[in-house]
Amino acid sequence: MPSHAISIQNLTKDFSVGLRGLKLRAVDGLNLEVEAGQIYGLLGPNGSGKSTTIKIILGLLRPSAGHCQLFGQPCAEVAARRSLGFLPEAPYFYRDLSGRELVRFYARVCGVPRQQIRKQVDSVIELVGMSEAASRKVGTYSKGMLQRIGLAQALVHDPELVILDEPTAGVDPLGAADIADIIRELKRSGKTILLSSHLLAQMEGLCDRVAILHRGQLIREGRVDDLLTQADAQSFVVEGLDPAAQFKVERAIAEAGGELCRVEKTQRSLDALFLEAVNERAQAAAQEVSHD
Amino acid sequence: MIDSFQRMRWIAANTFLEAVRQKFFNAVLLLSVALVVGSVFFQQFDFGSSELKFISDFGFGAVFLFGSILSIVLSTQLFFNELDNRTALTLLAKPIHKLEFLAGKFFGAYALMFCFTFSLSLVLAGLLFWRETVLMGQLAEGFDRGRLIRYGDVFVFGFIQWIKFGVIAAMTLFVGSFAQTNLFTIVVSFFGLVICQLQYIARDAYLGMAAGAGRWLVQGLSWLFPNFQLFNIGDQLVYPVEEPLALVTLGLITAYGLVYSVAFVLLAQLNFRSREL
Amino acid sequence: MSTLNLDLKHPLLLRSLKFVAVVVLLGALAQVMRPVEQPAWEAVQARRSELPLSQIEGALGQGVVFGVLGGFRTILADFTWIRLYVAWEKREAAELDALIRLVTTLDPDSVYFWVNGARMLAYDVPHWRMDDAGGVQILPDARQRAIAEEQAQQAFVLLAQAREFHPNEPKLDLEVAQIYLNRLQDYANAAKWFRQASEMPGAPYYAARTYAKLLRVQGLDQQAYDFLKQLHQELPDGDPYAQKNIVLERIRGLEASLAIPEALRY
Repeated sequence: MPSHAISIQNLTKDFSVGLRGLKLRAVDGLNLEVEAGQIYGLLGPNGSGKSTTIKIILGLLRPSAGHCQLFGQPCAEVAARRSLGFLPEAPYFYRDLSGRELVRFYARVCGVPRQQIRKQVDSVIELVGMSEAASRKVGTYSKGMLQRIGLAQALVHDPELVILDEPTAGVDPLGAADIADIIRELKRSGKTILLSSHLLAQMEGLCDRVAILHRGQLIREGRVDDLLTQADAQSFVVEGLDPAAQFKVERAIAEAGGELCRVEKTQRSLDALFLEAVNERAQAAAQEVSHD
Repeated sequence: MIDSFQRMRWIAANTFLEAVRQKFFNAVLLLSVALVVGSVFFQQFDFGSSELKFISDFGFGAVFLFGSILSIVLSTQLFFNELDNRTALTLLAKPIHKLEFLAGKFFGAYALMFCFTFSLSLVLAGLLFWRETVLMGQLAEGFDRGRLIRYGDVFVFGFIQWIKFGVIAAMTLFVGSFAQTNLFTIVVSFFGLVICQLQYIARDAYLGMAAGAGRWLVQGLSWLFPNFQLFNIGDQLVYPVEEPLALVTLGLITAYGLVYSVAFVLLAQLNFRSREL
Repeated sequence: MSTLNLDLKHPLLLRSLKFVAVVVLLGALAQVMRPVEQPAWEAVQARRSELPLSQIEGALGQGVVFGVLGGFRTILADFTWIRLYVAWEKREAAELDALIRLVTTLDPDSVYFWVNGARMLAYDVPHWRMDDAGGVQILPDARQRAIAEEQAQQAFVLLAQAREFHPNEPKLDLEVAQIYLNRLQDYANAAKWFRQASEMPGAPYYAARTYAKLLRVQGLDQQAYDFLKQLHQELPDGDPYAQKNIVLERIRGLEASLAIPEALRY
C-alpha cells in the first residue's frame, strides 16, 4: 500500500468565466503529499483554493494541469473513492429522512455489505454521539447535529481517508471540542484525515502537518510544531516571583547575552476558558443531583 | 454491473421518497383526481351512453396534461434540488459514477410517474364502471351487447402515457444537465414538449415541400424531436372504438418510448460528466 | 500557421462541439428508430380521421388550433358540444348549425355527434323556425311542411357526410329512416332506409321489423309477408331483443289477412 494517502503534483485549476474564455486561476502549481495516518490541515483564507483542491481530490473537478492520486490511484477514478469519506462544508442532507435512514442510505451507496449495514450504522452514530437523535428527521437537527450526522455518513463505510471541509464552522466551542476528539480518535484507529478550515486557531492543536494556501498557491507547509516554533527564542512561564527577583532574572538574561523580548501575563485562550467554565458548571450540577 | 444497479436502485428509492413528500406532487395528484371525478358533471347533460365518451376524454386529458406538467417540474426539482443543496456533492463524493446518479434520479422520477398514472387510471376506470352500471340500468337498449367500455384499455392508455412521461422526464434531465437554473430547464422542456407534440406536422409537411432551406428545417425538426402523437391514442381505446389497438402497435410504441428515454439519459450524461459542481 | 492556432479548450468551441454531437446523435437515433416508428405511426393514423385545418381555424382561432393539433382534439370537441347545448337552449339556430359542423369536423369518429346533430337540425330547428314565424297555429300547413323538408335535407346532408367516416354504421341509416318517418311521413323512403340499416352488421333487430311494418302501411302486404318469413329464419333463438315470437305473430296475422291456404303457410 502506498505510504501517501494523497499525492498532488503541480496541480493547477483554471475556471472559465463566460464564453470569451477568460480564466480564473483557483489553484496554481500546488505540490503536496499527505502521509497515511496523519491529521493534515489545509488552511487558508476564503478564496485561497482549499475547496477547489478538495473537489479535485474527490474527483468532482478535473484539473487543468498536474496530477492527483489517492493511495496511488488517480483521483478521477471512481474506485479511488471507495477508501474515502467526505464531510462537505455546511452540510445539507435530505430533510425527510431520519439520521439513521440517512446514514444507512449512504452506507448502501458505498457498498457496505447488507449483513454489516446495521452494525456499521449503529457504530458510527454512536461514535459521533447521535444515538439519541438518530430517529428524528434530519430537518429538525441543529447545525452541530448536522455536522455530527455528516461525520457519521462520511465514516459509515470505514474509509481509510476522511476529508472534512470546515468541520467546525458555525459550531459552538463545545461541539467543536467534541468533533476534535472524534478526529483524534479516528487518527488513533489508523485513519488519515484531511481537514480544511480558515479557523486557524482551532486547527493549531489538532493537525500534525499543515499546508497554508493563499490565492491558490502553497505558501507554507510542514509540521505544526516546526512551523510555529521560534528556533531562536525560548519562553519561561514563572510563578511566585516578586519584583526584585524578577529584576534579578532580567539582569541574568542580559548578562548571558540574551535579549528579553517581552514580559507579559500568560493567558488562556477564550475557547479554553469557555470549556473550563462549562465543565465546572456541569460537574457542580452533577454533584447536586447525587446529593439529592 | 449488479453493484451499479444496486446503487441506481438506492438513489432511485431515495429520489422517489423525496418526491412523494413534495407538496407539488400531492397538489397535482389531488387536482387531477378532482378533475377526473368532476367529470360526473356530464350527467347533467343527459348524453345517454355517450356520457362515457365524455368521461373518458376528460380523464385521458387530465392524465395527459397533469402528467406532462408533473414530469417536467418534478424532474427539474429533483435534479436541481440536489445541485442547489449540494447533496449531489456528498453523493458524488461516494464511489458512484455520474451516470448512476443521473439514472437513479430518472428512475426515481419514473417510479413516481407510475404511481401518478396508475392512480388516475384506477380512478377513471372506477368512475366509468360506476356510470356505465347506472346507465345500463337506465338505458337498456344502448347496452344490448353488454358493457361498452373496455376497462383494460384504460390501463393500456395509462401505461402508454407513462412511457411518454419517461421520455419527457429524460428530456428534462438532458436540458437540466446543461442548464444553470430551474426556470430555464422548465421553460425549455415545455417548449420541447410542444414541439414533440406537433413534430408530426413537420414530418408530413416536408414530404410535400420543395427542396431548400425550409424543407431542411422541417426535416431537421422531425429528426431531432421524438413524435409524441404516437402516444396520443386515447381516442382509439376504451370507447367507442370497436376494434382494440393491435398488440404489435402497442409494443412498437413502448419500444420507441423506452429507447428515447434511455437515449436522453445518456445524452444528459454527455453534458453532466464534464459539469463542474 | 499562427492564424490556425485554435484553443481547443475554448468554452465556446467545446459547447459548439457538444451541440453538434447531440444533433448528430439525435438525428442518427431518429433514423435507427424509423423502422419502429413508421409502422406504429401508420397504424395509429389509419384509425384516425384526417383533420381539415382550414375548416376549423376560423372557428377556433390559432391558439386553440395548436391545442387541437397537440392532441386535445377530442376534448375540444367535447367542450364545443357543451357550448352547442348552450346555443340549443337559447334556440340560436345559426350558431347551432355552425357548432354542429365544427364538432363533427373536430371529432368525426364519434357517431354520437353526427346523430344528435342531425336530430337537432331535423326535429328542433323546424319548431324554432315555426315559432319565430308565428307558431304552428298561424303558419299554413304547406309552410310548415316546407320548413320540415328543408331542415330534414340539412340533416340528410350531415348524415351523408357522416357516412364517409362510418360507412358501416347502422345508426346513421336509422336516423335517416326515422326522419323520413317522423318528420316527413314518407313511408316509402323510410322503409328503404330501415331496410338498408337492418342489413348492416350490428343493426338493432327492430329495424327489420319496422321495415316490414312500413311495407304493410304502404299496402305491400305480400312483400311484408315474404320478408318476415325470411327474417324469422335468420333471427337467433333465445335472444330476447330478436323478438322472434313477435315476428311469428305478424307472419300469422299476414297469413290471415292475405288468406294464405293452410298448406302453404309458414
